[in-house]
Amino acid sequence: MDESDEERLRALLPRLRRFARSLAGDDGADDLLQSALERALRRWDSRREDGDLQAWLFAIVYRRFVDEYQRAARWQRVRALFGLQQETAAPSAERIHGSRALLAEFRRLPHEQRALLLLISVEGLSYAEAAAALGLPVGTVMSRLSRARERLRRLGEGTTPGTPALRALP
Amino acid sequence: MNDPLPEDLLHAYVDGRLDAQRRAEVEACLQRDPLQAQRVADWKRDAERLRALFADTRADASAAAWQPGRLRRRLRRRRRLWLAAAAAWLLALGLGGTAGWFWREQRLAAERLPMADAVAAYRLFAGAGLPMEFDPPRRAALQAWLHAQFGAAGDVPDLEPHGFRLQGGRALSTPEGAAALLVYEDPAGTRIALYLRPRTRQTLAGERRDGRLLAQYWAEGDTAFALVGPATQTPLHRIAPLLQGAG
Repeated sequence: MDESDEERLRALLPRLRRFARSLAGDDGADDLLQSALERALRRWDSRREDGDLQAWLFAIVYRRFVDEYQRAARWQRVRALFGLQQETAAPSAERIHGSRALLAEFRRLPHEQRALLLLISVEGLSYAEAAAALGLPVGTVMSRLSRARERLRRLGEGTTPGTPALRALP
Repeated sequence: MNDPLPEDLLHAYVDGRLDAQRRAEVEACLQRDPLQAQRVADWKRDAERLRALFADTRADASAAAWQPGRLRRRLRRRRRLWLAAAAAWLLALGLGGTAGWFWREQRLAAERLPMADAVAAYRLFAGAGLPMEFDPPRRAALQAWLHAQFGAAGDVPDLEPHGFRLQGGRALSTPEGAAALLVYEDPAGTRIALYLRPRTRQTLAGERRDGRLLAQYWAEGDTAFALVGPATQTPLHRIAPLLQGAG
């Protein structure tokens, strides 16, 4: 890892953190980002030189998140098995407004859809770059994008009653 | 009515990935299809709101904690800690293993009775009345072999002053090396035997009863000795100290 690599990594940090936040929430984002960055640094030299650094880093953050998510889910099942804790329902139906309402809706999406929406809508990755970062074929990215956008849209309909049924295109 | 637009094209439109001409075509189609237009408008709105929602996190990731140099230092520190922990484990395992091995050795030593081989040799050869391979006429050959194996310690003692005549000797093999059993007999037919072999770490001086037999044992130089005979034979107690002095 040389000076220019370090510079590029530093430039990507805000976006990586945003991605981590979209996946793990405000509480988990920093831990997720840290463990992902550590993994990235450890594997820096085995990275394919010609590969896209941005997609590679997003992929590591996502992989880290999925691993942790699955571990947490396993643990949750074990706890449920021993009757330690009931699965906690997300605080879903709260009527919150503005950006918090959107955030609540966004959190209710499956993490695959959240990751994809963030990479494409917020980070502006191309479909091919997003496919690389999530380890998916482009075709899957497209169909998943449709599902994600439809789902977010329908969730939004429930919480923003003021939206007119028909609207002129901007 | 036109065919519905392919979804991929709608996404590309929402994400601004179409050139001007294609964009115009899509917009023209959408104007004829209000339901589809509403969907697409909602997608766009959601994308914009998401961008706005996450825009406020743009700045705060330059925090010092994420700088590569600092992360690397933390990684190194953790690796050192890990190595230290691994070393501690190895040390603990090593100590445990060594202690366990010592304990085992001690136990084995305690279980292995001293000079048990001498008593076994007496039972097998002296007690059974078998002819000896070195009978008295071959005493010179026996003596030569003993000297070759044990040096000066291999002198065949003369126990006739104590009433025991040499009946012969037998060469044996033990894990420690060559051993010899010298058998003596008194006029009443009682047999006692002197047993020699290279000494081991645990060879101590002492005596012990083993069934009807009594073994007295000691070591001199590199050689361990045992005098074995029936426990009723009081001369054993007299003879053994003399042999220890003479060896």
